[in-house]
Amino acid sequence: MNTFRIFRDLFRYNGEFAIGLMLVLIVLAVAACSFFSPYPPMDVYVVPPDVPPSWEYPLGTTSRGQDVFWQLTVAIRNTLLFGIVVAALSRVISLLVGLISGYKGGWVDRVLMSINDTFVVVPLFPILVLFYFIMRDQMTWAMLAVITALLGWAYDARLIRSIAMSLRTREFTRQAVFSGMSTGKIVLQEHLPFVLPIVFSTTMNNINWSIGIEVTLSVLGFTDINTPTIGGMIYWANQHTALVSGIWWWITFPVLLVIMLFIGLFLLAISMNEYIDPRSRLSRLGGQA
Amino acid sequence: MIADLRSIPSSVELRAPQAAPLLSVDRLKAYYKVKLFGIDREVRAVDDVSLKINRNEIYGLAGESSSGKSSLIKTIAGAIRPPLRVVEGSVRFSFKDGERDIYKLSPQELSAIRWSHLSYIMQGSMSVLNPVRRIKHAFADFALPHVAAKGADFTHLVEGHLKRLHLDPAVLQAYPHELSGGMRQRVTIALATICSPEFIIADEPTTALDVIVQKGVLAMIREIQQEFGSSVLFVTHDMAVHANLTDRLGIMYAGRLVEEGRTRDVFKRPLHPYTAHLISSLPRIGDEAPKKALEGSPPSLADPPPGCRFHPRCPLAIDICRREAPPMVELLPGHRTACHVAQADPARVRPVA
Amino acid sequence: MKAYLAYLSKRLVQFAVVVFVGINITYLVTHMTPINPVEQSISAATTYGATSPEAIEMMRQSLRQLYGLEGTPWEQYVSFWKRVLVGDFGPSLSAFPTPVSQLILRALPWTVGLLLVSTLLTWVLGNLLGGLAGYYRNSRVLKAFGVLSMGIHPIPYYVVAFVLLIIFGFLWPILPISGGATMASDRSNTFAFALDVVVHSILPVLSLMAVGIGGWFMGMRALVSNIVTEDYVVYAELAGVKRGKILRSYVMRNALGPQVTGLALQLGAIFNGAIITEQVFGYPGVGSLLISAVHAGDYSLVLGITTVSIVAVSATVLLIDLLYPLIDPRVEAR
Repeated sequence: MNTFRIFRDLFRYNGEFAIGLMLVLIVLAVAACSFFSPYPPMDVYVVPPDVPPSWEYPLGTTSRGQDVFWQLTVAIRNTLLFGIVVAALSRVISLLVGLISGYKGGWVDRVLMSINDTFVVVPLFPILVLFYFIMRDQMTWAMLAVITALLGWAYDARLIRSIAMSLRTREFTRQAVFSGMSTGKIVLQEHLPFVLPIVFSTTMNNINWSIGIEVTLSVLGFTDINTPTIGGMIYWANQHTALVSGIWWWITFPVLLVIMLFIGLFLLAISMNEYIDPRSRLSRLGGQA
Repeated sequence: MIADLRSIPSSVELRAPQAAPLLSVDRLKAYYKVKLFGIDREVRAVDDVSLKINRNEIYGLAGESSSGKSSLIKTIAGAIRPPLRVVEGSVRFSFKDGERDIYKLSPQELSAIRWSHLSYIMQGSMSVLNPVRRIKHAFADFALPHVAAKGADFTHLVEGHLKRLHLDPAVLQAYPHELSGGMRQRVTIALATICSPEFIIADEPTTALDVIVQKGVLAMIREIQQEFGSSVLFVTHDMAVHANLTDRLGIMYAGRLVEEGRTRDVFKRPLHPYTAHLISSLPRIGDEAPKKALEGSPPSLADPPPGCRFHPRCPLAIDICRREAPPMVELLPGHRTACHVAQADPARVRPVA
Repeated sequence: MKAYLAYLSKRLVQFAVVVFVGINITYLVTHMTPINPVEQSISAATTYGATSPEAIEMMRQSLRQLYGLEGTPWEQYVSFWKRVLVGDFGPSLSAFPTPVSQLILRALPWTVGLLLVSTLLTWVLGNLLGGLAGYYRNSRVLKAFGVLSMGIHPIPYYVVAFVLLIIFGFLWPILPISGGATMASDRSNTFAFALDVVVHSILPVLSLMAVGIGGWFMGMRALVSNIVTEDYVVYAELAGVKRGKILRSYVMRNALGPQVTGLALQLGAIFNGAIITEQVFGYPGVGSLLISAVHAGDYSLVLGITTVSIVAVSATVLLIDLLYPLIDPRVEAR
């Protein structure tokens, strides 16, 4: 009930949250349409190719004889799912590393943060490309998700660590330690609730990041190109030189839809951040005064 | 008619400028006006304060933490920002080169008198110096626009000033984090006095310093004041510091000045029950009697009690205190108080055991 | 000085850790996969033209050596490191027998130039405008810029570069959309050549800037609106120090440190962006080289580029870290 009220207030008083939520809901609605698609998503030449947007094909058809709209619904669903899976997996790692590092301190913290900083600094894209290079056709959608998650946890782990560090010195932690609670129990029962809001906002950013990786790799053809995704659609459009031959609708609609998703998720993340950080909330109050 | 009458004292001032007080605050009201959740709120931080500070004196201002003393000195310094606003009254300085009404100056004119005539030692001296630049840059930024010396001459000027204050000129090359807390405070005081200002506002300059360092800093302020003949408005809640340092003392309670007089007189013969309480709570050697705490807490400035603002906590309160705000009246020579009881019979107010 | 030395050694250790872990990841990727990389590479390389069985056998030999598949696992690991440390990745398979190092060296100046120009422009411009926006909160122009840059910021490099390509390649073709310079350009005329290079770099630089600028803008704006409430800013205002001076030497100067640290942390991501952008605009840098090496199945080149980029990015981060005390003297505080 309380959560519901927070969301309602955010929607009412925070323009960024309202716009972000609307954009994400539109994208989700498009993705939901995929379940009603009249064509199997993998099939080609099911409709006449290269038809511009019309009443029959609202977003036109591709040179491979697919309806752009129905193709788009499946593609955005897969892309979104990829982002969510990666974000969920990497959240587990960053929570573990962040909480343990922040709570334990000392050499555990130093070693973990050294590794953490390595993942922040190292350019991940060449490593992902190297993965694809070695795996080639064995590089499935699920494997890419796992690898991306394994590479993309570091930035948020540092954020969570800094919060855990501030929690460690608070009174209630000391009390829990004196009452004989185990480290694991303290971290899970006492600290997780404080960390969760920031986890939510980093999740949005992480979904964005991983979708960006997926789109980029697919566009280059470095993924399983037979699973329809947004990047895969652009890849096939580029393969058929859609822009040069004037099939602009094949490219424009996937790009527009994914941009809507990026901006929507980003706005949700920053409005959430603002909600969490009392200092910016205060400045907002001062701004109205 | 009134205008004619008023013109006479100003001609008197012209003949004997030294006699005029350096600072005259007249019926000053400064309120915080905040609009919160659609409701207008008014916090009366400074409510009808009048005071005068003479040349060559240290004027102490005492009061609890939310008594409005910080707002008062900010208003005097012309350093207020919305939502704090001056509602009524005036703040006038008679500097050697002419009279200035702080709230009738343009921003440029205000900038021009800052540091050269009117200087400020801020609370929280630990963090008032820019952490990423050397001390010498602070001196250049603050003082260079106000002095004629440039380049090497300016450096000589600054070094001479530091030496006069028994500080090593090498501190100019240091970063703030390389100095100890006491040293930083001394440097800040040197920075505030580099242009020999006529009026210095010192806002809790010794809070957060340990007692030994505190003593040194107080001696330094006293020395500077005597050497330059400037006036200092010294603000602290620490009554012991006032007893040792200030010439005259004003006591603030809930946005109002409740008592003012020579420091010696105020300590010997407090005329306001609140002052009496402040003084009796000071520790004295050999005094083992338990200190009686004042009941209640200071009133909210957003919704002050009617009449005398001290009456809910006052042991001497009588009926009129709950209805009428007492005026500030001079009961003894140079000793004013705003208390109905004292005005009826000064002998009734005495330090509580 | 002592504090700086302690700081220096800490940073050097971190640099060593980054390079060590990074290179080990590439080793793990190439050695712990269930795929036989030698056969993979051969089949990939031979799809681009018929090759004689002898040549394939030779290739298999050299690849086994190259992948370090000879000897015990420990020997493999040691020989892998040896090659990395001398920077010898053997000959390129797709441009045989040109050494990989030579190909990389040829492409590196383009990437470094592109990154240097775009990153500096983005960082300086983003921070300057963000600082002004934080200090002069009521400026409409800066607010509008904030909304615009915030809108572009979350979009990945590829999509932004692609949109710019569509705009300037098809809708309003006024800028070259491909290559680092005109193919048949006369390189003896230095000025004309330089101008040609600049014109060709406009779109890649622009797309890198479009994505990057919002982050610096927002970060700086938030930093500045916190710094203006700090005591040292309030005190300088009390002293009547000029607003321009306060903005420059007090507000911006103190925000510089966090933003330089931010630059060091973002460098890897910026490098990723440059790879993609090069690919979109056919820019002849390391990114394009990497992607064509993948398509050509050139293992040694892919491994070489991955290793070099890990070392180069972490070395740049180290350089930024070492210069950091110039910006913030409180070095031991970090």
